[in-house]
Parts: sequence; structure tokens; C-alpha cells
Amino acid sequence: MTTQERMAKRTPLHEQHVRLGARMIPFGGFDMPVQYSSILKEHEAVRRRAGLFDLSHMGQFILTGENVPAWADELTSNAVGTMKLGQARYNIFTNERGGALDDVIFYRPADRWLLVVNASNADKMWTHLNAHAANAGVTLTSLHGRNALIAIQGPKSVQMLSPHTGVDVDSLKYYFCAEGHVYGKRAVIARTGYTGEDGFEIFLDGADAAHVWDQLLADNEGGGLIPAGLGARDVLRLEAGMPLYGHELTEEITPVQAGLMFAVKLSKPSFVGKPALEAQKAADDYARIVGIVMDGRAPAREGYSVFLGDRRVGEIRSGSIAPSLQNKHIATALVEKEAAAPGTPVVVHIRGTAYGAQVVPLPFYKRSQ
Amino acid sequence: MAQPADVRYSKEHEWVKVDGDTATIGITDYAQNSLGDIVYVELPKVGSQVEKSASVGVVESVKAVSDLFTPVGGQVIEVNAELDGDPALVNREPFGSGWMFKLKLNGTDQTDGLLSADEYAELTQE
Repeated sequence: MTTQERMAKRTPLHEQHVRLGARMIPFGGFDMPVQYSSILKEHEAVRRRAGLFDLSHMGQFILTGENVPAWADELTSNAVGTMKLGQARYNIFTNERGGALDDVIFYRPADRWLLVVNASNADKMWTHLNAHAANAGVTLTSLHGRNALIAIQGPKSVQMLSPHTGVDVDSLKYYFCAEGHVYGKRAVIARTGYTGEDGFEIFLDGADAAHVWDQLLADNEGGGLIPAGLGARDVLRLEAGMPLYGHELTEEITPVQAGLMFAVKLSKPSFVGKPALEAQKAADDYARIVGIVMDGRAPAREGYSVFLGDRRVGEIRSGSIAPSLQNKHIATALVEKEAAAPGTPVVVHIRGTAYGAQVVPLPFYKRSQ
Repeated sequence: MAQPADVRYSKEHEWVKVDGDTATIGITDYAQNSLGDIVYVELPKVGSQVEKSASVGVVESVKAVSDLFTPVGGQVIEVNAELDGDPALVNREPFGSGWMFKLKLNGTDQTDGLLSADEYAELTQE
């Protein structure tokens, strides 16, 4: 047993996962379900019906104080100060080089800000936030490991959740949140997710999580709701073209390179890394994240080399089968500009053999509405 | 799933069924279950010679790439072409239509050191 496994913390839903027969893996310091039944079955449930995810490993921090918006605007690339009450917004904490310390979501329920960070970056981010909070008029509270986060994702999410909450989830706008109760338990409900489907993320006290999880599954068994693990989540997010920290976005790969300009507000007066990002954008000679579809059946995996003709132009950053694209194998790659145009034929080297592939626009999958 | 008794097993979770001088090889139910949804199988070339215990291909699930070892040596005479279009056959029928390749055996006594169904069941229950 490795140190990581020995040290893995448990979410408030650990007992549920064990009872449901989940295969558990250490992830971000927690013992997490990678799959319950089959990654492909869980993927299908989310695309067609709905899946239930335990995301309690993610870092939840509460920020309070009048200075939060101005303070956060200085540390991140997207705008915080312009967020309306009840809004949620994707954002990126940057370093001086314009690289990403983490990609996060800010939520703005009444009287406080809720910041959700990646589990793998939670300790780093807690340190980073505290280092900048002194004398800033900002108070930080960590709920990491204490609070729970349950996501229900899929086209049936509204009909499965709405009978059990006083919040009008049907009218709740995409990337907005509301406070209320779910099965009588206090919760923040947000219309956010990481699957490319409609759905909700439900923030709860850890002690209330098991009740809500069990009830949602029991009441929606007939509708096809099943628990879904991190394996399905990764396939879903990749199809939807969403970055995963450590893959498409790192301290070295900037949001400009990752194609996340919607979350980079160069119009802000200043923020950490803004000069670097401005210069990078203007020079336009940087390696960038692109979508790749393999011609054949061999899967592209992280680290494989990508060639344009006989020149190595980059490497695969994430790869998966794509059930939503007739089981083609898809990937993201960080490639030089010359190889980045959609339609460019490239070659992926897999175990010493060259396999044809094509650069495509992201996302791979967009739900029909 | 019960372990078929008429085949021999390797500690690397392959099975081999010997019929005269021909051997059919696949991976076990335990192996397919551990791997999860299988999305790609790379098999040895027909006509190639493979040594007992050598890595001769790969089996890829959604999350992982695993080596495929051959429990016996010989010349590859056939590979299961169905797996190219439907690799999940290995999940559904690991001991049946999900077989992987056939060899013409080099010599006899190649199954020495391989496990019986009971011995393999014991190994996978540990």
C-alpha cells in the first residue's frame, strides 16, 4: 500500500460508495469512486438520463468581506466584481507568467462568496489565498473535507431534483445559484457542471449528504438515475471540451494557450500575469491546446507525441474513447501554431507506430437544445 | 463467472486452450472485470513467432493500457478480427467469442507451470 492510499481521506459519502460496490482510487487526497458499474454505462446515463456524482473532494472555501471582489479581481484572469447576486463564474488564478495556479468557480450566494477549487490544488490554493489575504479585508474559511458536494447531471436533472426542493430549479439560469433546502437539508444549488449536460451542483453540510444522496437515488431509480464515478466524469468533460487542471491547464500552460479567452479579461486594469498574457496573445506564436480525432481505432493517451509530417509539434494531454462520437478516439494536444488549424492532418505516435489523426475544433460534443 | 475447467491459466490472467498442436489464447473474466470497459486490443501479427511469457500486444480499457502476454510459445496462425470493431466482446464473453489469438505450438509440455481452474480461482480470491 502506498503512502497516498494510507493517507487518503474519506468523503461524507464513503459508506454509500462502498455499499454501491464502487471501485475506489486515491484522487486529490481522497478515496474516490472511479466507477460503480461501468464507465461507459455511467457516461450513457448522464447523456441520456442523469448521473449522480460525489464531488466532496473538491475544495470549498468561503470568502467574506467587502473587499472580496476587488481582491479576487487582482488574483484572477476573469471578472469577479461584475458578478451579480446569485451568479456563478468560471475563473483562473494566475501566476506572474500567466500560467494557471488553478481553475475554479466563484459562486455568489447572499452575503458571502463560495470558491470551489480542484481537489489536487486545494492545499496549494489555501496557502495562496491566505498569503494574499493579510490586511486585505478578506476573511477566509475552509470547508474542505467538511462540506459535501453532490452533482446531478443529465437531461432529466430538473425533473429528478425539482420535486424535492423549494428552489425553482427549472427557472434557475445556467451559471446561477440559489439557497434553499433539498430533502429538508440546507443547501446551495447551482446550475453548473462538468459534463456538457444540464444539471446541478448541490453544496451541503457533510452530515446531510448521505440522506440527500440516498433519497435522490431511491426516488429516481425508475427514471434511470445511477451513481457515476470519476472515470465517466473525465470522458464527459473531455467530450464537452472542458479543461482538466494538470492536463490542458497548468502553471506552464496559460489560459491563452488553453483557448480560454472567455475567462481572460484583458480589459481589467490589472491582475497577476496580465502583462505576460497580453504579450503572449499579441505575439500569437504560442503552442496551443487543440482537439484531435484519431482516424483509426487506436486510443491516443497523455504524453504521446504528435507529428506534422516528420516534425514533432507537440504532445497529447488527455485522451479517451468518445461514446458520443460513434466511439471514435478523441484527445486534446498541446501543439505548435502551424499544426493547430482545424482540418490539419497530424500523426500520433503510439508504441513506435504512426497513426493518422485530424485536428478538430473544440468542443467535440455539444448537447442539442 | 465460473472458470472453465478445460483451459489452463497464467498468473498474468491469460487463459490457453490446447487442441492438438493448436492453442487458443484470451484473457480471463477476472482480467476483463479488473480492466473495465475494453476499448482497444492490439494483437500479434499472423505469421509471427512468439516466445512463451512474452508481451505480444496490449489490451486498453477506458482508463488504462495493459500488456498482453502469451502463456505459450509458437507461431501466430489467427487473430480474432471481431475485436477490432467490437473490443467489448472481451468484456461480454472473455472465454468465448472474446478470444484473442491462436498459435501453432512450439513443441509439447508448454502448459507446464500454468495453473488449473482451481489453482487460478485460488489466486484470484487472494
